[in-house]
Amino acid sequence: MLEETFHSCCQLLLQQSEQLKDGWSWEPVQSLPVASNDADSITVDIVDDDDEDDGVCMVSEDSSQVLKYEYHILYSCSYSTPVLYFRAFTLEGRSLSLEEVWSSIHPNFRLRLQDSPLHTISQQASELRIDMAQCGGSSGGSGCPPEVLHPAPP
Amino acid sequence: MCRRLAASGVFRRFSGDSRGMTASTVAGLLSSEPTAKPRQELLLPRVSYLTLVTDKVKKHFLKVIKADDVEEMWFEYEGTPLKWHYPIGVLFDLHATNTVLPWSITVHFKTFPDGDLLHCQSNSVIEAHFMSSIKEADALKHKSQVVNDMQKKDHKQLWMGLQNDKFDQFWAMNRKLMEYPTEEGGFRYIPFRIYQTMSDRPFIQKLFRPVSPEGNVHTLGNLLKEMYPSAIPNDGEPKRFQVVIHGIEPLLETPLQWLSEHLSHPDNFLHICVIPVPTD
Repeated sequence: MLEETFHSCCQLLLQQSEQLKDGWSWEPVQSLPVASNDADSITVDIVDDDDEDDGVCMVSEDSSQVLKYEYHILYSCSYSTPVLYFRAFTLEGRSLSLEEVWSSIHPNFRLRLQDSPLHTISQQASELRIDMAQCGGSSGGSGCPPEVLHPAPP
Repeated sequence: MCRRLAASGVFRRFSGDSRGMTASTVAGLLSSEPTAKPRQELLLPRVSYLTLVTDKVKKHFLKVIKADDVEEMWFEYEGTPLKWHYPIGVLFDLHATNTVLPWSITVHFKTFPDGDLLHCQSNSVIEAHFMSSIKEADALKHKSQVVNDMQKKDHKQLWMGLQNDKFDQFWAMNRKLMEYPTEEGGFRYIPFRIYQTMSDRPFIQKLFRPVSPEGNVHTLGNLLKEMYPSAIPNDGEPKRFQVVIHGIEPLLETPLQWLSEHLSHPDNFLHICVIPVPTD
């Protein structure tokens, strides 16, 4: 994807976001174009591994936990595609480790992701975190490096 | 101070100057806080990563520190936490290149600085970081075609070669990442990072071709002029910065393609440090 295409897609995303009021904003970061979404709260139910695999998640009441996700989409010049960076926090501000993030993904989808040759989710270096702090986007959990969703092969 | 290089491979020892800093290892002196504790002297490979080569250090200090007081190990030099995910040679060139050897690093086992450092709780974290650099470098050089054509065991071989310091094992695979179609004259883009001590910005990394559209070979000087022009003095001006790769200053006329093939780190990136000239 060309960088100009990325720009126009972001503009479309922002227009949609305006209508839905779900909080995406555009922030230039050190000359890197970024679209960010702050503190989108969703309730995630932690699922036991030995549950039946019939597409339904069986959850006991005391295993649910509210998580906060922060998303940033950047254009990667190296890969010529957008890359999704995200961080997951508990409400107390504790960042989730990579293992915890993996375990919060439905087992079926997890398998699909793990089969991908590019090993889709990885922990990315702190450089981006510094840039994000400069654009004032991050709330709480300032120390944890973001997870990266690698671009799919073309 | 500029030196011509006879080296032809990442792991080979370079011809060094009398300070010995251009060797492929750096002499490090590790001590834990408080400094009353016993110190350990090590030869640290420039091309590796701190957390990969300091198992013995950890064991050594764990003998004298109470188990209760031990959390994740991290390293610091003169108050600056050292980023383990940078190659050791880069850390040295950035922070300590003009100081007297051995390089005195302080080892910590408490109060891990979450805001400054990535956690590194196992070698698989280092492996993931290393492989992601290799993949990104290949995305720049070959649109990921070479690395995607490799099997998982080939990727593993690159990592094991680095981890176990096995030159031949590493290069058996890495040579594929250094190939390019002859008619192209070089890689698609050169994987590089320029580090500066005088900036908040962690590093400069942008797209840059090894050959211009007119067919002119791009040099190290061309790269710097484009990415960090103040690193190169104008005619008549005194030299304010040293441009350092693996502890030496290559001639600015050196072709970038050659540097990429011969002076990249095992992660396939050219790590270039721009440091102020020391004022003696």
